[in-house]
Amino acid sequence: MSESQPFTDSTTPPAAQPAVCPFCAILCDDLVLARKSNLAFSITRNGCRRAKQDFARAPLPNMPRVGGRETSLDAAVKAAARLLKRARQPLFGGLATDVDGMRAVVDLAERCGATLDHAHGEPLAAMARLLQTRGWYAATLSELRNRADMILLVGVDLADRYENLARRCLRPAQALDADTLAARRIVYLGATPPGALVAGCEALKCSSEAMVDVLRAVLAVLKQQPLAGTRPGGLAADRIQALADHLRAARYSAIAFAPARLPAPRDPALALLCEIVDELNRTGRAALVPLGGDDGGQTAVSTCAWLTGYPLRIRHGVNIDYQPHSNATAQLLADGGADALLWIDAYGRLGELPEGARLEHSIVLGASSNPRSQSAAVFIPVGTPGLDHAARLVRTDAVVSLPLAAQRDSGLPAVATVLKAFEAAL
Amino acid sequence: MSRLVKLSGARIYDPTNGVNGDVRDLYIEQGRLVAAPRDGRPADQEFDLKGRVVMAGAIDLHTHIGGGKVNIARMMLPEDHAASLVSGERHPHAGCGHAAPATRTAGYRYAEMGYVACFEPAMLPANARQAHMEMADMPMVDKGAYVLLGNDDFLLRALRDKRDPAFIRDYVAWTLNAAQALAIKVVNPGGINAFKFNQRKLDLDEQNSGYGVTPRDILLALANAVRELGLAHPLHIHGCNLGVPGNFETTLNTIHALEGLRAHLTHVQFHSYGTEGDRKFSSGAAQIAEAVNRHANISLDVGQVMFGRTVTESGDSMRQFAGSAFADPRKWVGMDIECDAGCGVVPFRYKNQNFVNALQWAIGLELFLTVDDPWRIFLTTDHPNGAPFTSYPHLIRLLMDKSFRNDMLATINPEAAAASTLAALDREYSLYEIAILTRSAPARSLGLDGFGSLAVGAPAHITVYRDDADREKMFSTPELVFKNGQIMVREGRVVEEVWGTTHVVHPDYDHAIEHELDQYFERYMTVRKDNQRLADDEVRDGGRGALEVHATQPS
Repeated sequence: MSESQPFTDSTTPPAAQPAVCPFCAILCDDLVLARKSNLAFSITRNGCRRAKQDFARAPLPNMPRVGGRETSLDAAVKAAARLLKRARQPLFGGLATDVDGMRAVVDLAERCGATLDHAHGEPLAAMARLLQTRGWYAATLSELRNRADMILLVGVDLADRYENLARRCLRPAQALDADTLAARRIVYLGATPPGALVAGCEALKCSSEAMVDVLRAVLAVLKQQPLAGTRPGGLAADRIQALADHLRAARYSAIAFAPARLPAPRDPALALLCEIVDELNRTGRAALVPLGGDDGGQTAVSTCAWLTGYPLRIRHGVNIDYQPHSNATAQLLADGGADALLWIDAYGRLGELPEGARLEHSIVLGASSNPRSQSAAVFIPVGTPGLDHAARLVRTDAVVSLPLAAQRDSGLPAVATVLKAFEAAL
Repeated sequence: MSRLVKLSGARIYDPTNGVNGDVRDLYIEQGRLVAAPRDGRPADQEFDLKGRVVMAGAIDLHTHIGGGKVNIARMMLPEDHAASLVSGERHPHAGCGHAAPATRTAGYRYAEMGYVACFEPAMLPANARQAHMEMADMPMVDKGAYVLLGNDDFLLRALRDKRDPAFIRDYVAWTLNAAQALAIKVVNPGGINAFKFNQRKLDLDEQNSGYGVTPRDILLALANAVRELGLAHPLHIHGCNLGVPGNFETTLNTIHALEGLRAHLTHVQFHSYGTEGDRKFSSGAAQIAEAVNRHANISLDVGQVMFGRTVTESGDSMRQFAGSAFADPRKWVGMDIECDAGCGVVPFRYKNQNFVNALQWAIGLELFLTVDDPWRIFLTTDHPNGAPFTSYPHLIRLLMDKSFRNDMLATINPEAAAASTLAALDREYSLYEIAILTRSAPARSLGLDGFGSLAVGAPAHITVYRDDADREKMFSTPELVFKNGQIMVREGRVVEEVWGTTHVVHPDYDHAIEHELDQYFERYMTVRKDNQRLADDEVRDGGRGALEVHATQPS
């Protein structure tokens, strides 16, 4: 397919379809856009605060830079190829891109002997570790919307992220079974209750540090074991008891949580969430709904897994070497384990380059006007998937993926196009 | 003039055209088999294949190669990969994986065993895009997928509301189009959905508590829709009660429930268990084989178990939840998916000294050896559920070599060996029959014109074996594998990375259903209907892939 074409064929006539939002991993596909200018949009329906900001951003000027100075794409590609050729241990980080971008990342990494990690590598790796050590019972977003008569939100900050979850899944206008929706109880546990964003949501406020204690207490109550202390995590014991009772009494309990918002180290809280669901599933039904993998994170994990067998944090050598601890961005940049950095930020949301990145050894494919990124050894502005080019992205549940059409003609290249040019120049 | 290639002097096993070991020359031109040139024009290249065995390229009609549960298994099992890393020197791309290989590694290994086409049997509509993206990244082989229905709330509502069969048929056809599928699969009909309502089992005539419909209702509705749409491949059924002792009766009842409609029963080994003996676990293979032999409308694949480590990946969340108690190592993932289906991924080790595992192994072989018609039974391990597909050569040897089979039988749990009729079964498969099981029969069942055939005009998908009394060795490393006339494997090693075609059907339907589906997705789902649907270009995936739409013959 050509980059600027949405996926259409004779059987699907191109129509003014609502847009899919690429800016977080729940991938709302019902945004109605209006053109603010030639290259920026306002959202007239269904946009969350975050999407409104991101769609309103104009694309970067199509001006690659080498050493901070404007140059042609061709010259920038050559400079990047020189840098990659010299590097012995390059790190490909950020990885905020789409499926085709990740395919190109994996191919180029094999060519260069590179290590792969995503900007949100820590929570993604915590989930991979959980999968590899115990696994879980999970549900996807449409199950959350339709099946659950009890929803526990753990640590999610809906005002900051996944705001549309309220409209689309928590309190939707309709569900398959109207009674389930009418009976639905929603409880929030954490430091940032959603307030008016979720009608009728009960808040159990606790600090993120206290979360583990609360979850441990909930599990203890479910297992009819004694509580440690009278106010676990600062919450009254009867409130813990009530939460456990609601989870147990429900026909289907869903526990939605954002791994990135759990306090590090995340493993204890994650394991407790799994155990709570396992305990409920002994006699009833329950599932986890993980919310994460923003900025192309889930797409990067899924694509890397089918191409290589591993969920990122691999290093290409003669064989693929999966080292989830030592192949982490922070680790590699701190101990000099990477002598070049290819940083990919096609959504323009990753902010500063990671700590320890050395500009003179960095190639940035970016979509933000961050001045430090632009003064990297090579900076190439790239298109945002679903705005500047057609794309496919994997949703937070790792099941649904969506096709995104291009919305504007900025002329900015896709990450995949740039990386293939790197490979050709090598 | 285009290049002419001659394969001379080999023994040809081409059951599709009734050729049984005749020594013949084959000619390839422009990717297809052609007749010997009448003008005596010499070949541009000739392979002297005297003494070799030549078959069409092999086809695996039931192998879990792509989609969400396969990817969960990959991510879950670094220990599986660590023992089976493949360097970029061995294959065009580095990879790994024994039970849950990377897409590329799976493609290379299939090609190295002489396979040219593989079919994913459990593609969820909600996950179809990812399944196709994964299959697009699987080189060497052609591919296709069967789309899962029968646990989706849309269909169960329609059955509850006694909608017209024409409506069901339109929905089935829409789903095949939207998911770019070749056939319809049903897994534990209604049971995956029932598990969401906390039912822990669902027998053939038991009602799903959410909708009041039974597995029998669902099977009949889907099998009739498939027949009316005129799909080549009949409804592909993973029945109720997988793995449950006594389930052979469910399987017999399922055969009767189909009322003569064509159907394919999959991984039947897992559905052929009795309850006799001290352990309340016995073989029901004889009863199943007898029923299959009497019902010409039924085909099956076996889902043979082999000893060793693997991972079980299934849409059957209800049965995988039960099976998770036996996870080895102790981890597993279950999912309720998109008001569509579910999945369960459970690592497992089949042990030859374990009574149940050993009997499972024997039951699979009993089925192979007692189902009479090789055109209605297909060689599978339900990769990776019974064993990884790389065990096929070993399985072929078990089928072809009675003394080897008996040697193996002597090594398993003795009680299981004694409980099996295997020792008394003398049948040995011939090369001709193996060619039926692995080529001709799956090609015919799937309606893949030209596949599984060495007739003039067929695409030149050809596997050349060195004849060897050790059939495992022979089938492990073909000397040459041609795909579309191009050599992709020599001496069991990939020499050329090629990219395959995706096989689909696009049956017609009354587009009035689109409006109702639009509303359904809008009201209840978290994607819009038009985003669930895959465009043809997505399957072509940038032009590296291709799409072949097979004809249907609606009644």
